[in-house]
Amino acid sequence: MNRSETMLLCASPRRKGTSAMLLERVRAITGGEVVFLPQKGSLDDLVLAMQKAETIVMSGPCYINTYPARLIELLETAAQVGGFSGQKLYGIINGGMPYMHTHQHGLSCLQLFAQQNNLSWMGGFVLGGGAMLDGQPLEKHMNHRKVVPAFDQFIRHIAQGTASTDSLYEQAQPAPGKFVTRIFANLLTFMVVKKLKNHGYDPDAPFIYTQEHN
Amino acid sequence: MITIISDDSRGDWGSLLEDALLPTGRQLVRFSANSLDIKPCTGCSSCSGKTYGRCVMKDDMHLVVQKIAGCQALVMLSPVVFGGVSHHIKKVMDRIAVLGDPRYRMKDGELVKGMRVPGLRYYMIGVGNKLSEAEQKAFLALHTENRKIMDVKGQAFILDSSMDKSGLEQVAKEISHE
Repeated sequence: MNRSETMLLCASPRRKGTSAMLLERVRAITGGEVVFLPQKGSLDDLVLAMQKAETIVMSGPCYINTYPARLIELLETAAQVGGFSGQKLYGIINGGMPYMHTHQHGLSCLQLFAQQNNLSWMGGFVLGGGAMLDGQPLEKHMNHRKVVPAFDQFIRHIAQGTASTDSLYEQAQPAPGKFVTRIFANLLTFMVVKKLKNHGYDPDAPFIYTQEHN
Repeated sequence: MITIISDDSRGDWGSLLEDALLPTGRQLVRFSANSLDIKPCTGCSSCSGKTYGRCVMKDDMHLVVQKIAGCQALVMLSPVVFGGVSHHIKKVMDRIAVLGDPRYRMKDGELVKGMRVPGLRYYMIGVGNKLSEAEQKAFLALHTENRKIMDVKGQAFILDSSMDKSGLEQVAKEISHE
């Protein structure tokens, strides 16, 4: 990989999920290579590729409020190996909840990694409601009218090598009001319960592991 | 019962916490996350559907889940890594989705889910050497968000690795008194 290339790193274990879809949208404009984070084995080659890139874009799902463990492992490995020299780092994190604060930690984590390891933090993009997309194009997002132009603006920042601010994604995704939230809660729960019943489960039955302790 | 999950790869804070909690008389179980065989979550969602409440992966997480399900307090003890927890601890955190209630409800005007472990209290202890304000803020924010999404109570603590044991004893008191 030449030093001038953009490395697009997908931190999701799913190759056709929302994280990959967002990265593919970036790749269509910036070029570069989409690399999938291996779920087992050494991460040394990936760290080497990060060192050789001029720009790194990391896209991943939000698991319990930040990036998945395997990406944290990559960051820890990269910090141990070192050898970074101002590579530009952008982050994308997507999760099911429609609130920015739910997923924001992922970007804070990348920013701290960049600051502590001589990379240049260039900002990130939080996408709420991303899990519902399940890899479908961004145009299918429930708030696509605002989210699509904001994300495309974020891609332009990557292409131009300029910094992106949190306000870009925050303004595009205001938190839903109480009325909408209640509708969401009822609708999503209805879908979850229906799915569980289709699989033969009673959602109100005591947890199997809790029963073992009683 | 208190379940402690510690990353002991960079120090013996897990056993120190265990020692500090012993005089409280609470039943303790401790796992060293860095010594367990725990595979990364693949996000397959089976635990909230096809195999509700059970993870399809066969590894040590099965033992950990059993203990968490029967405890009143879950303590995650980790070196602070980029304002969060280490990958050893994060692997456990990612996989506790199996303990989650997949149904949604509203709390303080926002969507939350919840846990299938009644009354669970959730603690995070971060250890670091002269952590910056940004690192500490991020660590505490992670715990706050974890608490919200799991709809549980609990606290986060940050310990300086250069301090004496008394800080840990204070944390142990707070955990055992709640």
